[in-house]
Amino acid sequence: MARFILRKAEPKDVSDILRLIKELAKFEEMEEKVILTEKDLLEDGFGDHPFYHCLVAEVPEDQCSEGSTVIGFAMYYFTYDPWIGKLLYLEDFFVMHQYRGLGIGSHILKVLSETAVKTRCSSMHFIVAENNSKSIEFYKRRGAADLSSEEGWRLFEIDKKDLLKMSSQ
Amino acid sequence: MDFTVRAATKEDCKDIWRMITELAVYEKMADQVKISPEDLERDGFGQNPLFECLVVEVPEEQKSTDGFIVVGYALYFYTYSTWTGVCVHLEDLYVMPHFRGNGIGKSLLSKVAQIAKQKQCARLQLCALEWNTPSRDFYAYKGAQDLTATEGWHMLRFDGHTLDSLAQEDAKGS
Repeated sequence: MARFILRKAEPKDVSDILRLIKELAKFEEMEEKVILTEKDLLEDGFGDHPFYHCLVAEVPEDQCSEGSTVIGFAMYYFTYDPWIGKLLYLEDFFVMHQYRGLGIGSHILKVLSETAVKTRCSSMHFIVAENNSKSIEFYKRRGAADLSSEEGWRLFEIDKKDLLKMSSQ
Repeated sequence: MDFTVRAATKEDCKDIWRMITELAVYEKMADQVKISPEDLERDGFGQNPLFECLVVEVPEEQKSTDGFIVVGYALYFYTYSTWTGVCVHLEDLYVMPHFRGNGIGKSLLSKVAQIAKQKQCARLQLCALEWNTPSRDFYAYKGAQDLTATEGWHMLRFDGHTLDSLAQEDAKGS
């Protein structure tokens, strides 16, 4: 049984958080899309107006093989559904490969859902790539509904160049 | 048609709620609206607002058949991408049917884009229903990419009893 703790991220964790963000992006085959820096993470998460909240999973030093004790994280923020109100939106959720199957991911999800309930959220939302069947199964086993399949919701994005075009029209 | 787009105030909550309900009817999900105008006021106009809102007003002489001068809205909030930082998520954009075709929707979207630019956001995201071709065409025309189609992203949700069960679950290993 793995010993680990789950705690709120602190400013000193930003370099580990960025490392794990890049590992997750690499897994999603989108590593080159990460342009965020440690400085951005520090300003955006630990300033006067945090745009995100973060939990980190840590193992004792004798259990970590590659230097850092931070081996997983979950980043979330609060959003709004005009039909039901406040939601918890799970942006990123990742446990390093060699620490999987030990209950760390399950525990993170449990703490997130406790947070959602305690902070008056009606729901927890997130997106998953449809080819990521392991993650989809993990979530579905715990009761998640796939709104894209069941209700036909599709995710759209307008990028900076088109935003600039629109904002000057 | 004359109209103005302005930031919503708490006095607009009744109108915003009315139009939220109208949009839900259009999306064939009217029974899913659980919030009240008072919830909107607490959540959007208190100390830590969870959203921002723009409303569209027409002059008195152009008011709707039911007497409303607030005829459209856009509700949005800030999200965070671990790839690019702060983003804007456009949650709702709606113009009352009678007032469509006058550039109001375009103006609302443009205003939200200006706000995204001011906050140095890398992107604006939104969700639209598969069958909602008029909206999907409108956004595609403005440059939106359908990430569900091109990258296979699916929206998932835990709510109600599934969220409660998860919160109470005994995690193995902890």
